Amino acid sequence: MAQAETNGLARAEQYYGEYGSRARALKASGSKVIGYLTALGPVEILTAAGVVPVRLKGNVFEPITRADAHMETIVCPFIRNVFDAALKGKYDFLDGMVMPHQCDSTDKTSNVWGYNLKLPYWHFLNVPHLTDDPSLEFFRSVLAYFVTSLERFTGTKITDAGLARAVQKHNENRQAMRDLYGLRKTDPPLISGVEMMKVLVAAMSLPVDESIALVKSVTEEVRKRKEATGGRPGARVMLVGDQIDDAALVQVIEDAGAHLVMDYLSLGSKMYWGDVDVTPDPLGALAERYLRKLKLPTTYIGSGANYEENLDARFGHIKRLAEEFRVNAVILFVYKYCDPYGFEVPALKSFIEKAGVPVLYLEDEYSASTLPRVKTRIEAFLEMIA
Amino acid sequence: MADEKKPRTLATEAAARIPKIARANITATVKAKEEGKKVAYAFIVCGVDEIMRAMDIVPAWGESFSGICAAKRDAEKYLQKAEAENFSRSLCTYATCNLGFDMWREELGGQMPPDAPWGGMGRPDMVLGSGQQLCDPRYKWPQAMQHYLTDVPVFVGGLYYPPWDPNMDQKEQEKFYVKYATEELRACVRFCEKVTGKKMDWDRYAAVVDLSDRTWNLFIETYELRKAVPCPMDTGDAMNTMVPISFMLGTQECYDFYQALNDELKAKLARKQGVVENEKYRLLWGAGLPSWFALADFQYFNDKGAVFPVETTYRCSEAVYRLDLPKTDDPVEHIAWRWVRFWNHWYDKARMRPGSMPEVERLIEYIEDYKCDGVVFHSAFSCRSWHAGIMLQSEVLRRVYGDIPILIMEGDIVDISSYNEVDTHNRIDAFVEALEARKSGRN
Repeated sequence: MAQAETNGLARAEQYYGEYGSRARALKASGSKVIGYLTALGPVEILTAAGVVPVRLKGNVFEPITRADAHMETIVCPFIRNVFDAALKGKYDFLDGMVMPHQCDSTDKTSNVWGYNLKLPYWHFLNVPHLTDDPSLEFFRSVLAYFVTSLERFTGTKITDAGLARAVQKHNENRQAMRDLYGLRKTDPPLISGVEMMKVLVAAMSLPVDESIALVKSVTEEVRKRKEATGGRPGARVMLVGDQIDDAALVQVIEDAGAHLVMDYLSLGSKMYWGDVDVTPDPLGALAERYLRKLKLPTTYIGSGANYEENLDARFGHIKRLAEEFRVNAVILFVYKYCDPYGFEVPALKSFIEKAGVPVLYLEDEYSASTLPRVKTRIEAFLEMIA
Repeated sequence: MADEKKPRTLATEAAARIPKIARANITATVKAKEEGKKVAYAFIVCGVDEIMRAMDIVPAWGESFSGICAAKRDAEKYLQKAEAENFSRSLCTYATCNLGFDMWREELGGQMPPDAPWGGMGRPDMVLGSGQQLCDPRYKWPQAMQHYLTDVPVFVGGLYYPPWDPNMDQKEQEKFYVKYATEELRACVRFCEKVTGKKMDWDRYAAVVDLSDRTWNLFIETYELRKAVPCPMDTGDAMNTMVPISFMLGTQECYDFYQALNDELKAKLARKQGVVENEKYRLLWGAGLPSWFALADFQYFNDKGAVFPVETTYRCSEAVYRLDLPKTDDPVEHIAWRWVRFWNHWYDKARMRPGSMPEVERLIEYIEDYKCDGVVFHSAFSCRSWHAGIMLQSEVLRRVYGDIPILIMEGDIVDISSYNEVDTHNRIDAFVEALEARKSGRN
């Protein structure tokens, strides 16, 4: 376990800037490192297997130069960017990857990754899109098969007791991060959106114990700001989207005078809200958490008695988070070629607007090259709602 | 105003009958109301055809309607309507075309939008979607539609198969996949019973399943007649003759259609009558939905002496006896096994060729069985489901099978703004030159 952190924000900045450096160091000292994509990455199982889970990220400032020779440009721009980074050796410390089935862009490119990266271990985790009881049971079987596959690779038995310990650790990590999120409720928030994004990115590159230590350290540091920080007025913005893993967009929002106080992002609140129940059947509890508690646009939710109930089941949690964090503007940021989010836009936008919160919908690329036009749109939106 | 293009010359009489059949399918969705039948928006290759047919539910195929709008070059007005609602142009254009149409019909209080292609589609009583490793729009499109047709109930069932992993035996997993698919199909039946107010007649369902099995067998037997040289029917026709197997599976009319096509092809074989007079190149349509507004491009190939005796597109079936399905008295479970084994039945072969993959084994099988000289793919920008991964297939094919001319065309299924006829024909010309060079090299 790493030493207790005392300068969390500086460490987060370091891990953010040198993404993957800790995993690389752990690899050098003999650990196995397994990468994953998306909030569906089964980190508890990876932790229980004794491997270092590291979530892969892209770089919005890095143009895609190698991926286009192997992967279609109609694929999610985030996936293309991360794949490009992997081809360029950014993740050459990986022993393997688990690719959760989130969307067509993960499903249909899984083999593209596997064949080109040639990692010693590859596993496609077939997460269903549904949440009914048969889907839950099916997903439990899928997770059990993943456990078997990982055991074969690592040579280490993954026991229920080990899984239970991993579940407890990751729940603690989630709670620590939620505590930090809580410091954004003040007006102005004690931690800026840019700082928060860097902590979120740093955390997903660390073993769970180190993540807990980092997040607690940041929380302690930020809490001390309470009396010292002056406030500037500004809209309290919530950013809704999926694979936004860079502070550049957040910087644009905050440079325009707003405070990013909440998110519904894949590396953000999606990861940290909804614990895994502690039960005698950890795999069943994991299936429950990833299918039912984690609400993604790739999960079909339609069991309501009518459409309004369905909308509330799909988006009610976003509204409640917006209320809890006193959000007064939402930016819905969707990548081009994203069917799961793209088909949600009219319903999600109107749902939030009906709650009295204005929404700016932006469809864009995973690239800093488009930020100037995004900046113009955001500034105009913030002026309009001022 | 629609900009209709002169249709492609069809080689078979069967294909020439398709527009009338497809139109009747669409008209049936409007007539259903008068006949007291329920209409379901449905998606092809979702395992629910037999359920709908056994329960007299009239399927309304959004993919078919959007394809027809595209073929008539009359989709733009619906695409724009969807875009005005914030549906991106980069989303599946089958869906956005259909959603634009749905919105328009709702604005008119359920009346058909003016000048709707072939009279338009009837308003659904239900939607049968599907969660798969195939196509996100199959569950997102129904959700999006429900925003405008809020009273229409939606069912989405899960239908998965063990993913390809060269180091794992899919048979270790298939039982829990089949169990899950069976349960989801039963849930679909319960949903349909609730909406229609009728109970499933399980004997009738079993008979429909038997008919659809026999149709799969006949379909494959018929298409395999195209192995002949010269080829009696090519992909240009198959993009029409796919209508019954895709949209009418489980009906006698579907079976009879392939019987008639079978007879017609055998007659052509007897006369040694090919699609083109001087067949120079035989091509595999390797993957991709076609540009429905540019089917005449198949004619362009034909004019160069190139024919497509085989395609993977709309061939989501196999002779059932080749799938080695476990015996079961439960027709629902049978469909589940048929589904899983269909998608997995190239896995063992792929495992035997190091570096290969199931999709490529399928290509190799077709290249060899149908004596193909090259492979053509089409990459449609709005559809990740069928079109992401094509580059990998071509890479792996070359790596494990050897150098073979490959063309990847780019366009879309519905959105004509992506299409440039001159550029497309230039690329085809260059590809044909490569085919010729390779043939000359052999000689």
